[in-house]
Amino acid sequence: MNNAIEVHDLTKVYGSLLAVDHINFEVRPGEIFGFLGPNGAGKTTTQRMLTTLLTPSEGSIHIFGRDLRTEAWVVKPQIGLVPEESNVYTELTAWDNLMFTASLYRVPRHQRAGRAKELLETFGLWEKRDVKAENFSKGMRRRLSIAMAIIHKPTLLFLDEPTPGLDAQSARAIRAMIRQLNAQGATVFLTTHQIEEANQLCNRVAIINHGQIATIDTPERLRRAFQRVQSVEVALEPDGQAHGEALAALPDVTNSAKMGDKWRLYTEEPAALLPHIMNYATSHKLRVISLNTLAPSLEDVFLEITGGTVGAVISESQEDKPRRRGMGGRQ
Amino acid sequence: MNAHFGQRLKDEIAQAWTVAIKDVRVYYLRPGMIMFGFLMPFFMFFSFSVRRELGAAEGLARLLALTVFFTAGAAGPFIIPTERRIGTYDRLLAAPMSLLTLLLGKTAVGAFFAIMVSLVALLAGLLAFGTAIAQPGLLVAGILLGALSFSTLGLVFGSIPTTNPGDVQMPSTLLRWGLLFISGVFIPLSEMTPVARTIAYLSPLTYAQDVMNHAVLGRGLINPWLDLGVLLISGILFLWPSVRLHQRARVLGR
Repeated sequence: MNNAIEVHDLTKVYGSLLAVDHINFEVRPGEIFGFLGPNGAGKTTTQRMLTTLLTPSEGSIHIFGRDLRTEAWVVKPQIGLVPEESNVYTELTAWDNLMFTASLYRVPRHQRAGRAKELLETFGLWEKRDVKAENFSKGMRRRLSIAMAIIHKPTLLFLDEPTPGLDAQSARAIRAMIRQLNAQGATVFLTTHQIEEANQLCNRVAIINHGQIATIDTPERLRRAFQRVQSVEVALEPDGQAHGEALAALPDVTNSAKMGDKWRLYTEEPAALLPHIMNYATSHKLRVISLNTLAPSLEDVFLEITGGTVGAVISESQEDKPRRRGMGGRQ
Repeated sequence: MNAHFGQRLKDEIAQAWTVAIKDVRVYYLRPGMIMFGFLMPFFMFFSFSVRRELGAAEGLARLLALTVFFTAGAAGPFIIPTERRIGTYDRLLAAPMSLLTLLLGKTAVGAFFAIMVSLVALLAGLLAFGTAIAQPGLLVAGILLGALSFSTLGLVFGSIPTTNPGDVQMPSTLLRWGLLFISGVFIPLSEMTPVARTIAYLSPLTYAQDVMNHAVLGRGLINPWLDLGVLLISGILFLWPSVRLHQRARVLGR
């Protein structure tokens, strides 16, 4: 069986800027494939090439075994595209937006109304079907945009940052919808910089940075491969928040970050660090409220790979210790 | 093979129609369209025709040429950059239809608009001044082919890779004003110097004005079949730079 997407040496150059640098990957049929990377890494450029909106400088793209350069006509009906901006026609009603897209994708005339009704009900927009999209909230426009992208039942759905800026309820509804579409057989290519979203949804993720694929694997295997970004989270009383610098200076701590009323201490040896924390608490007459060892999150892996800093607050005493590359910190 | 081609052709025609109808519903009442497509030809007509001892029939022929010219060319430079800006153009480019189909749909939008506004001008001429039309069939053909030609000319500007309609409306307007003054609309071809007339023959508007003269007044300087032929061929030829500019936009990522 052909892969849903196969990319070989895909490259995009804008003038002197190498936006995508000879990347190779494949997406298997039926999987949710996450495409992660920081802003400007080449995510959207790659997705635009995969959806025929951008001509590659080099390399090849095959969708379900068809060469996108020469057989776009055959491939396009199988693709659904949800771009980063909800590109609905605000002057048209929700119903008319769907009817327009159904006609554009040559959904059989007798199926259009039924399909539109089904989608509007699924996305909670049926009651608003006759309202112009200009009166919709951001979340409603997003849902309508997704409904428009799947009205022709695509077998490959591209989603570019589907949930940023949405309220929690809308974001949750969209994630549930992505799972549902996938369960019905659609392959999903999800471009995102929201690591937790990729973690929840994706079978595999690719991390792209500076136009190159840094790694491709399952979220779980990636986490296991990066044991060095394990951490210990500790909450101390009284006045535990004032001890950040001292905790960060404990042996085996490579970095630290303040997480609400707790401190997260990054280490390669959590077991060795625990006694140091207990000794510090005892000697400073502090009570340990909670103490947890944490496996690396996908976000830790992402930051490690893309050169971001794990830990927002770094103590001065750590200046001489080995530091991770990059700037900024955990949000 | 033939059945497949027939089905595809049918689908492409339906998709072009879908694009055109959507644009009519979404954009016809936008201020940019009303300003450049509806008010501009009447403004130009009254600016250069009042108090110039122009007969009603001559005035109608000129007004029809102006409305077809300005109105048909207003859609492309306004609609496509606007759609690029709000992201809806990607939806059309990603849809399973050829680029030519999309461009023909956009051409139809400008052409419909020109035909509608021309009908307003025609009705005004017929009802207010009782003007007689010498060759109604030629008038219909002239309006249709003029609308096609000038709509694809507008499309060339709309195809420039930009997300700001202002970036293309200005050069588009400048070109159209230039054509206006070299094309025998305000100065009849018969009164031009040989050099000016040679330049006028390079402009499709010259042929649109001449065919309107044939249709309304019953006289013109060029063979009306040649007028129609030039309008048809220029309409087709103007599609080529639009296709090239779209391909360029795909390379540039705009």
